[in-house]
Amino acid sequence: MLFPSPVFLIGFLPVTLAGFLVINRFACRGAALAWLVAASLAFYGWWNPWHLPLLAGSILVNHAIVGRIRASACPRRWLVAGLALNLGLLGWFKYADFLLHIARPAAPSLGIILPLAISFFTFQQVMFLVDAARDPAQPRPALLSYAAFVTFFPHLIAGPIVRPSEIIPQLTRDSRFDPDGLTEGLLTFLLGLARKCVLADLFGGFADTGFDAAAAGHDLTLFEAWYATLSYALQIYFDFAGYSDMALGLARMFGIRFPLNFDSPYQARNISEFWRRWHITLGAFLRDYLYIPLGGNRRRHAVNLMATMLLAGLWHGAGWNFVLWGGLHGAMLALHAQYRRLFRPLPARVGQALTLLAVILAWVPFRAATAAASWRMLEGLAGLNGIALPRMIVSAMPPLAIIADPVSVMPSLGDARTLSFPEITACLALGWFIVLCLPNIHRMSLAARHWALTSGFALSVQAVFFAPHVAPFLYFRF
Amino acid sequence: MHRLVLACAGSLLLYGLLFAFVLDRPLTLGALRARIEANLARGAAIEGRKLVIIAGSNGPYSHRCELIEARIGIPCVNAGVAVGVGLDYLFARWQALLHPGDIVYLPLEEAQYGRRRAMAELGPDASIMLRHDRGTLAGMPWHRQLAALFAGDLRGAVMSVIETALVRDGFQDPRAAATGTFNAWGDHVGHTAAIGAANQPTLATFTPFHPTGAEVVSGYGTAEVARFLDWARQHGVRTIGGLPTGFADSPIRPGALAAIEGLYRTHGAAFLTLPNLSRYPRAAFFDTADHLNEVAQIRHSEAVAKRLAEMLADRSMLTAQMH
Repeated sequence: MLFPSPVFLIGFLPVTLAGFLVINRFACRGAALAWLVAASLAFYGWWNPWHLPLLAGSILVNHAIVGRIRASACPRRWLVAGLALNLGLLGWFKYADFLLHIARPAAPSLGIILPLAISFFTFQQVMFLVDAARDPAQPRPALLSYAAFVTFFPHLIAGPIVRPSEIIPQLTRDSRFDPDGLTEGLLTFLLGLARKCVLADLFGGFADTGFDAAAAGHDLTLFEAWYATLSYALQIYFDFAGYSDMALGLARMFGIRFPLNFDSPYQARNISEFWRRWHITLGAFLRDYLYIPLGGNRRRHAVNLMATMLLAGLWHGAGWNFVLWGGLHGAMLALHAQYRRLFRPLPARVGQALTLLAVILAWVPFRAATAAASWRMLEGLAGLNGIALPRMIVSAMPPLAIIADPVSVMPSLGDARTLSFPEITACLALGWFIVLCLPNIHRMSLAARHWALTSGFALSVQAVFFAPHVAPFLYFRF
Repeated sequence: MHRLVLACAGSLLLYGLLFAFVLDRPLTLGALRARIEANLARGAAIEGRKLVIIAGSNGPYSHRCELIEARIGIPCVNAGVAVGVGLDYLFARWQALLHPGDIVYLPLEEAQYGRRRAMAELGPDASIMLRHDRGTLAGMPWHRQLAALFAGDLRGAVMSVIETALVRDGFQDPRAAATGTFNAWGDHVGHTAAIGAANQPTLATFTPFHPTGAEVVSGYGTAEVARFLDWARQHGVRTIGGLPTGFADSPIRPGALAAIEGLYRTHGAAFLTLPNLSRYPRAAFFDTADHLNEVAQIRHSEAVAKRLAEMLADRSMLTAQMH
């Protein structure tokens, strides 16, 4: 079930929220949590009910292992067993085909269907196991509370990746209905909905045209390549920001505060800051559960950074393009760490521009279907396939004819219509203005948030209920 | 909470006002609207019996009313516009101008039958009605009115600003002049094979969409056509179904063909088929799988005119249809 779908918005959400509030008010907190778990399992099973036993089994087994960690004289052994089980499950479902084709490229596919959100709920449970082993004195939560934490539908599918110690106390605490929290949550949710449905899907269409053309073997000219790449950078930004805002808003409606997951990353002045602003909870997970245990910045700093980011890339998908993306970010982080040791920081604007350029270029292998398509896109970005511009633009500004060939239409740009160039130019200008010049909704004043809602709510209604198709979240794949 | 509700209500109001009264797309939707109005004006000017061709863009590109009119001796209007324009909108506009004895020929594109309601209701005609033709919109069912109210998106808003600015600057689409124009009958002329040669590599690899028989039967467009055929029968307007032009190597699925023909026959209309089922080699097409080049357009129109003349001369078919 997608958040921006009519069945969720006018069916699942009101029923689940009303049921939770009523049960919480007239029965006990445990009954309200049981309702929440049941609703969340229904939410998860909507797409493929056959994966429900996997999720339920994973919760039961991990809860039992934590019991063993606390009771055993050798908790480390149980921790290793638990980690092996979780990562083994993730490895089988997500990476078995990938690894098989590395070993035997001609082998037929195993045909494994990736269970929805397995990357997310696996990491949640790895956190639970490691935290239990690190602090054995902390009491084990009841199974119902733990199940409510893992399955809680706002973060089940695509994060944020939250610490059990942050969320379980909020879930189990007896609390009365908070109308301000409901309003705040609804406002955040609606603003996230607008980012996803109105902005991300708009830029997704532009990006698809260019990247699909590259995948089909077409050469892209300079503007076609740049417009597709800039569109994808905006699509993934608004998609993820929108999803994170919706998750935060939904949780808030149920009285739960999630940590911020997204904080205007394209405004970062260096690559380290980018990773403190982009998918903040994944970054924190990788830092606390991988990078620091590997040695952090105490020894083999660059190697640790590279290993962490390669795994971060692999987490996003079982493909060399994701490994390459992670490797590029690892190299950039290592380079930046080295630079910081030797030189003074760059002026803020220069740093931001360089960081943004590097991040945007790194999206190319992340998005492109194949290595050949990536290469073709990079050739276009470098202008190796020439520069073409619509004849109407060249006619209006004749000096452009020196650098650009006038053409009637640009085949890999938007809908390849006469006006596609000014249309995408205007949309990109709007999108990048929002991204670079405006604060994100968590840093806006309440009045500004209401104005943002005024500008986007009707367009969201249009996109959800009237547009024939709404694209699924990009992060559903990860 | 009341501020949030106010913001949502304000957003809906602002959106409605902007798309209904301020934003416009004079180049893209304006061109479609101009075509529709020009065709209607020609239809209104014809006194007595007339032949009206209603279809998507295969109407004007693959049929030549000028020639058909000369062959069958009945004034003809080529009222096909674009495949995305809602059939209910075109039918609603033409119903006011159709009189007993008039003939409507419908070589509709396959996609027009199988289209889902959500898609059909968000075609370009939704914005045209909301902005310029609220009289027709008022006569539509409530769900169509609601969809028209929510037909605009951010992209449409951006484009309306660009198009309005370009029109104020006197912009003319450079492709329009280069690929031909429309004559007084509503036919597209001047789309020669020589101009279309640049499109042949794309056409050579293009895979046309063909709905299944089940998709045709359950399609929203099919229901709209059925309603129109019933209306026409009740009002003495003769209707003749037909097939759109398409690639010879990519035939209409047999199930869909049977469903299309069955639709017309079960609602009392005649059905015109040519020996080649309106299929032509890819080299005969201009820029899309629906648009014949000018030479092929003339050849196809000769064949359609000959068959139409035979059908119109057949009194038994006419009598059967009127009952």
